[in-house]
Amino acid sequence: MANPEKVERDSNFYKSVGFMCGLEIHQRLATAHKLFCSCPATLANESDKLLAEVSRYQRAVAGELGSVDRSAEFEEAKNRRFNYKVRDKHTCLVEIDEEPPHNINSEALKIALAMGTAMKMKFVDELQPMRKEVVDGSDPSAFQRTTLVGIDGTIEVDGHKINMPTLFLEEESSGIVSASEDGIIYDTDRLGIPLLEIDTDAYIPNAAAAKSIALYIGTLLRVSGAVQRGIGSIRQDVNVSIKGGARVEIKGLQEVDKLDKFVDNEITRQLKLLEIKDELVKAGASVDAPIDLTEMLKKSTVRIVINQLERGGVAVGFRLKNFKGFLGKEVNPDRRLGSEISDYAKMAKVNGLIHSDENLAVYGFTEKEHEELKKKFSLGPHDAFVIIAGKKTDVEKAVALAMERAKYALVGIPLETRAVANTELCTTRFMRPLPGGSRMYPETDARPILITKEMVELAKKSAPDIEKEKKHLLSKVDNRSIAEQLLLSPRLNLFKTIISSTKADSGFVANILVQKFTELKRSGFEIDSIDEQRILHLFEAYGKGEITKQAVDELLKEMSLKKDSVANLIKVKRLQRITGKDLEHLVSQVKKEQKDSSDKNELRNLVMAKYRLTVDGAELNSVISSEK
Amino acid sequence: MYSDKLAKLLSSLKIETGDVVEVESGGAKLEGELMPKTEIGDPNTVILKMKSGYNAGVLVDSDTKIKKISAGKRQEFPLAKPKLNSKLPKVAIIWTGGTIGSKIDYKTGGVSMTVKPEELFYYIPELPEIANIMFKDVSGVASEDMTYIEWQKIAEEVAKAINDGARGVVITHGTDTMHFTAAALTFMLKDLNAPVVLTGSQRSGDRGSSDAFLNLISAVRLAANSNIAEVGICMHATSSDDKMHFIRGTKARKMHTSRRDAFRPINDRAIAYITKDGEISYHGDYKKVTDAQKKVKAQTDFEAKVAILKAYPNSDPEIIDYYIGKGYKGIIIEATGLGHTPTSVEHKGKSWLPFVERAVKKNVVVGVTSQCLYGRVNDNVYKNLRLLSHAGAVHCEDMLTETAYVKLGWLLANHKQEEAKDLLAKNIAGEIKERTTFDEFLA
Repeated sequence: MANPEKVERDSNFYKSVGFMCGLEIHQRLATAHKLFCSCPATLANESDKLLAEVSRYQRAVAGELGSVDRSAEFEEAKNRRFNYKVRDKHTCLVEIDEEPPHNINSEALKIALAMGTAMKMKFVDELQPMRKEVVDGSDPSAFQRTTLVGIDGTIEVDGHKINMPTLFLEEESSGIVSASEDGIIYDTDRLGIPLLEIDTDAYIPNAAAAKSIALYIGTLLRVSGAVQRGIGSIRQDVNVSIKGGARVEIKGLQEVDKLDKFVDNEITRQLKLLEIKDELVKAGASVDAPIDLTEMLKKSTVRIVINQLERGGVAVGFRLKNFKGFLGKEVNPDRRLGSEISDYAKMAKVNGLIHSDENLAVYGFTEKEHEELKKKFSLGPHDAFVIIAGKKTDVEKAVALAMERAKYALVGIPLETRAVANTELCTTRFMRPLPGGSRMYPETDARPILITKEMVELAKKSAPDIEKEKKHLLSKVDNRSIAEQLLLSPRLNLFKTIISSTKADSGFVANILVQKFTELKRSGFEIDSIDEQRILHLFEAYGKGEITKQAVDELLKEMSLKKDSVANLIKVKRLQRITGKDLEHLVSQVKKEQKDSSDKNELRNLVMAKYRLTVDGAELNSVISSEK
Repeated sequence: MYSDKLAKLLSSLKIETGDVVEVESGGAKLEGELMPKTEIGDPNTVILKMKSGYNAGVLVDSDTKIKKISAGKRQEFPLAKPKLNSKLPKVAIIWTGGTIGSKIDYKTGGVSMTVKPEELFYYIPELPEIANIMFKDVSGVASEDMTYIEWQKIAEEVAKAINDGARGVVITHGTDTMHFTAAALTFMLKDLNAPVVLTGSQRSGDRGSSDAFLNLISAVRLAANSNIAEVGICMHATSSDDKMHFIRGTKARKMHTSRRDAFRPINDRAIAYITKDGEISYHGDYKKVTDAQKKVKAQTDFEAKVAILKAYPNSDPEIIDYYIGKGYKGIIIEATGLGHTPTSVEHKGKSWLPFVERAVKKNVVVGVTSQCLYGRVNDNVYKNLRLLSHAGAVHCEDMLTETAYVKLGWLLANHKQEEAKDLLAKNIAGEIKERTTFDEFLA
């Protein structure tokens, strides 16, 4: 096959590689309460004090464990300690598995039905809440409550009809506070916030379409006005596979802008790995049994090895016959077959691995050591080797995992869940094997919910409508480009709040939120760090005539640097607007300093030169023109 | 439950639970396994489990098309054969059911009882490493439905197990009435010289977070390794999975509807704590296992005609006449505060005194406990207490109402009436303590 990067990626390309792609979008809802209890559906801040920390152990419960050896999984799981932070306002007994769930949140259900309607879905007649087993401890009950709400929908994006097979209403998991050898600490504030999962089918035609669809669904969610904003409130998982490759799920993408690049990189990665596979098979490559190198490397000066050995650790290596050059082959920008193998080793808590396609001198291996290693491995001219150092039990596991992955290079592409490795390069790394079907069983503590005609009718009325929203925005801002940008902007709802609750004119607000924000961001201001409440306060001050338009720009810069309240920043920066009698007084003062008191233009310029940020141009004009 | 119409339709189509069916309704087609119908949900829906694992309820009306695709397969529960190790102490597990003994069919969500030891050992493979386990299934009714007949049966099984060589006994039990059973066993088992540990769970064993595993493991460890020769309850001491406690059977009470640390010692300390890893520490006074070879005897006679009444503002004491009329032999009044009932003649018919007097005259033993739960009742501090006492009521010291009730039922069946009355307020099995220490409140 031709070099995949050099192939123009038109629709023929995607067809020729057998591209399959689907999206799963997870969005937190902005309801008052959580899905199955009355705790607020928000994240806790410092004022929500911690009442306790409870610690729990979870077990793999009986049956259906698939191919994983039960005893191994059991041993693994039973001593893993999970601690849960219990908060005053954001945690009740339901979250920490000390009380059965309350009734499902009807507000969240309404939002789900409205979204389903917007995607032309059919609704399940009687919803059946389920428990989906969770093994990572992120839920104290060891399962997540999830309910299938809608099926068989469609959306239309850029003229393409996309099938939307499923819509789920589920609980958000707990967030990790820290993880160590002793276990994982979770905060339960987030646990149980209502979450929508919206899935496309697997027939998204190309990478660009994947991005447009994600953007479209994101917009639809925002237009509903019922979703949370901010970091982590929306996450997209992308499934990608190609002919001869495997389904890989890239988890938790937060920046939709780069979604197409991640997809394209995944295609490249799979194509490259398939190329490597063919060549390795042709070369008759194989993976040998591991060899203990601990004694041999005890005298070594290689820091990363010796550090482990001095702590009582071991070093183990294995030969990869006829692998020379392949470990160093790039499969994605700055990612090689070696990095893929290393990801697996890291699952066993080792820091990584050393392989012979790397420049060993960089690690500090001497020429002599290198020769000794070659001898130890009986290295032929086309062979490679891998070395892993660390705690004995970890190394044993790591070597087994790395060997398994290396062997798989001769077979194809493993089914994987992958996480973002590098946001700039849009690359991913192995996170864990793609789970088989999750074990699900009915949530017997929650009642089934009958979807009534009234509920469906109500959903029709409240379903988000992008076209309608676009028209509405256009009527407010009178500029097509800005209206469209606003529609795609995460600040759409902020815009609506500002124009409905302040006197600031909508065109000006839209301009600031869309263009000014982009401009300031490009100039290096951390504009995204300003919380929405402060932005609202800023426009309130402007709407009340307390500051000028120019001061709004200035204050935004200040707000991105300091956490002070808007009122305080206005005071400190002396940005109170000079208006009415004060302005008249100011004008007459300046006039006295003027040489030619009849030149109104000069007077205006003199005032503005000094008081640009605090004097409103229009008001100044009217004051000057009424001057005698 | 299905509506008659739907039940008939399914039966005419020969569709049974577990079959794969296709349902077409309102333009949507769903295929899945037919799930069992429970008493909840709309009677006109069928529940399908789809390939994704999700269940969906489909309303079946005259326009719905439903057809069978294939017959269902039954799911077998996995089993594990324990390796017996004769060096380990012998422990009997007497299985009475309860949340701890329920297992779930992960496909259907149907809950049934674990009755085979092989199932139990599959769920909790640690057990055969702690003890040589003998398993006796006596399950039948839920804990809220249990009567003294079940207590008698359990007591006999315990005695038999110990006399057959068990070093200790574990009884799995529903939590709602576990403390009643624990009290009953305390009085019924004479010359007990081994640990008898009741345990249960507040979260069912089908979830990875269940307290069943640690509770049962800890109970078996206590039965196998502790030197306590008493009946008690072993459950979580805190909400964390770190520490379980062993509470004397006559001093334990379920104090929360759902928390895993619901069982607390009342007017007592926990006898012992046991950590997740099996370390036992002893904290209270208790009867120790000795070398005595005497056999344990189950003295299980029980007088069921004993009632519990609660005194409260506006209460009608005439209820006592009802019980006298019904031939009751004993009444425990759960009184207010130090042991008060209304005694004033100001409000006509509200004073309990004439009714108590009448009961006593008719040879009904009347005991008084407190709804405060914590602390000791008193027959002396206030005049009204003295009046109740003069009427012939027995103030039951620091005894829990439930314990006093069980004790009186047992006393009346095993002693003469006068003797029973005399023994009610005297300690016979650790149910009454002469000293109440500071740290026992809200422990």
